[in-house]
Amino acid sequence: MSLVKIKTKINGKEVESEVEPRKLLVHFLREDLGLTGTHVGCDTSNCGACTVLLNGKAVKSCTMLAVQANGKEITTIEGLSKNGELHPIQKAFLEKHGLQCGYCTSGMIMTSFWLLRKNKNPTEEEIRKNLSGNLCRCTGYQSIVESIRYGAELIKEKEEQQEMVVR
Amino acid sequence: MSSLRWEDDDLAYDSSVFVRGKGHYVDDIIIPEMLHMTILRSPYARAKILSIKGGLSSRDLGAKMASVGEGAGPNQRGSIEPVFATGYVNYVGEPVAAVFADDRYRSNDLLDSIEVDYDPLKPVVTIDDALNAGPIHNGMTSNVLVESSKGTDFPDPKSPIVLEDTMENDRVSTNPIEPRGIVASYVNDILNVWVSTQSVHSIKDGLVESLKLSPDRVRVMQTDTGGAFGSKGGLYPEYVIASYASMKYGKPVKWIETRREHLSSTNPGRGVRGRVKIFAEQNGRITGVKGDVLVDAGAYGTGIASFSAGFIAMMMTGPYSIEKGYVTGRSVMTNKVPQGPYRGAGRPEASFFIERMLDLLADKLKMDPAEVRLLNMSDKPFTSPLGMKIEAARPFFEGAVRELRYREETKLTRGVGLSFFVLVPAVYPGESARIIVKDHRIKVWLGGNSHGQGHESFVRKLVNEELEVPESVVTLFRGDTGMTREGVGSWGSRSAIVGGAAIVAVCRKIRKDVEKKFGSYSPETLLSGYFDEFINEEQKMSLNSFGANLVTVEIGKLGNVRVKKCIAYYDVGRALNREMVIGQIQGGMAQGIGQTLHEGLYYDHDGQLITSSISDAGVPLAEDLPNFEVKIAEHRSALPHGAKGVGESPTIGVPPALIRAIERASGKRLSKTPVKPDDLIK
Repeated sequence: MSLVKIKTKINGKEVESEVEPRKLLVHFLREDLGLTGTHVGCDTSNCGACTVLLNGKAVKSCTMLAVQANGKEITTIEGLSKNGELHPIQKAFLEKHGLQCGYCTSGMIMTSFWLLRKNKNPTEEEIRKNLSGNLCRCTGYQSIVESIRYGAELIKEKEEQQEMVVR
Repeated sequence: MSSLRWEDDDLAYDSSVFVRGKGHYVDDIIIPEMLHMTILRSPYARAKILSIKGGLSSRDLGAKMASVGEGAGPNQRGSIEPVFATGYVNYVGEPVAAVFADDRYRSNDLLDSIEVDYDPLKPVVTIDDALNAGPIHNGMTSNVLVESSKGTDFPDPKSPIVLEDTMENDRVSTNPIEPRGIVASYVNDILNVWVSTQSVHSIKDGLVESLKLSPDRVRVMQTDTGGAFGSKGGLYPEYVIASYASMKYGKPVKWIETRREHLSSTNPGRGVRGRVKIFAEQNGRITGVKGDVLVDAGAYGTGIASFSAGFIAMMMTGPYSIEKGYVTGRSVMTNKVPQGPYRGAGRPEASFFIERMLDLLADKLKMDPAEVRLLNMSDKPFTSPLGMKIEAARPFFEGAVRELRYREETKLTRGVGLSFFVLVPAVYPGESARIIVKDHRIKVWLGGNSHGQGHESFVRKLVNEELEVPESVVTLFRGDTGMTREGVGSWGSRSAIVGGAAIVAVCRKIRKDVEKKFGSYSPETLLSGYFDEFINEEQKMSLNSFGANLVTVEIGKLGNVRVKKCIAYYDVGRALNREMVIGQIQGGMAQGIGQTLHEGLYYDHDGQLITSSISDAGVPLAEDLPNFEVKIAEHRSALPHGAKGVGESPTIGVPPALIRAIERASGKRLSKTPVKPDDLIK
């Protein structure tokens, strides 16, 4: 099958690649780029284990072709921590036990990241609604909801600290 | 070993890597020259295979599956699944042939290169079909795979109250978010296998038996395992095929299940019907129980499908002291994917049946359901007529009524359900553990393998307690048959009990080694030396974990059930890590709600699978579930570290409490899971 050239920006780095037109974005990330933190769980866009950010918005990378990402910016779970320091949402999932087997975790964190971009202080109901595209079979979601709430607090604290520094 | 480049630390359990996307799951493995395997599966529930052209099939590999894992037993001749369908296909999704290519897309393309001619036959789809139709397998005289009975038959007594009901739990797909998967690599006469599993030893034993290999030529290593819930404890045809292909082609072979394959071809749980009759006095005292259990085994006999008929029958008295009992159990064969264990594996079914009968009795006598339950319990240990040993139950459950605020809740709302249960964990035959002390580090392996429960946390704690070393020097590694020469597996709420006991035993062995060598023990002498000990710690004790649940619901106009409160009060023995215990209970309660309200795996009259996605299968969403309230009782077991079982408690306790709450709120007697909105408004 003839290959198609695509240019993407992945976790801040420009990437030029040649891909089969039928290749799914998730397989491009996992197999061509070795970014195996993005997982495949259901093949039908229900479970959200494959969630990444495309130009800042959460999308299911198992339901998109790699060629559709041409010219776009993608952030995966590997791109969230900066200089080895965990993002507050990652810290929150660890501290509040927002995971057991870990398989849904990357997608949960990417969805939470997007949610907290849109809504800095979501209610429990808003969090649960926003997780309707992400399935977890281990936790019963309660610790995930707590992690997201705690993540929101940590982000707020961090922003306040940064403001103090600026002043 | 192979060309997989994982460092030592990559082989340890470490949940902190998951938040960074740095786990080590089986699909993350990339080895040079690796082939991707795709399976061609049967499109028919039952058919004669007239011819197969192309691909790898039963012509190349005529092996049969081995009975390993949870509930494995020897009595399954005539019903063991062939690795590749041989002569006939017996369920939609049964492996017929396999193809291989250097990339998953090209491997998929190759499916078109296989031609199979089938002559379709009329399938046996339901339990009733199985009882009425001729056998699906040549060489069997009926579709009854296993017949078993517990207790002694007795003539029906002339009791003032005789109640009978037939109850059912539909099949549930286990649906861990990570599907099954395996990588097999045959290098220098050694078959190396990486697999997402609950038991590396089951997989190894199975491959050795199926492929007739020498045990010292097979090494099975666990990858990070993204959930399992029973379905990753035993051998599957794809594991044998991938292993065989890696040997035949001299290249590593990877197979990763799709979700659709998970639904069609991974052993689901439940699928059990029970007809139960109870005899009681006017005061509510139950004097006898009779029952007949039917397990939908599917097309071939797995360990648990054979085991559960008798296992469910044995547990039919629940935690109650009922003097007379006789329960028969049969597993019957249908043209559907073979049944397997799902969180509880027989325990939830038995509890559902007896708890539904207790509620029926309470309603008949217009008594309080908690009262009826308590007056049928003893404050002394009791051995049931069906052979189950029950510890003194009443004191715990009297406490449970208070802890669950049962009296208060029944005043607040009509839709309240209560359940009492006894969890009998799979203690027998014990578990293995190995410790190597080297370079001031303590490396640990367990025979049974964590798949999200966090075994590493109890291992660190117990090693710290036994050897007085800081937890930070203790590392638990993923299962590896190269490191433990024998072992069992992680299922049946057993790991903290038997894995914990094995850790304590191996630590004490090491402590003695240090004393022998240096005259006395100190953590410093231990850590500066080199020690290597393995133990297979046998356990035969009977152990009970009591538990109770309270659930409240509201029902909408369209019959949609909203769970308002879901409270657990469970005796977990000693909670080795409170947060982990709470996490297990919350997650299990979500599955209990799922089974009762949403989940099922369905086939049409032709045996075609009609549940086609994880959403169809009904895995609950965050917005379907309430916040859970978990209360823990800690009555230590007789083991040195005090642990009891917990993992399966919520899937045992929640369905009967929830269905009762719905029954109270709707005013309709309910006998089947899942409860559909239609059941409540028609």
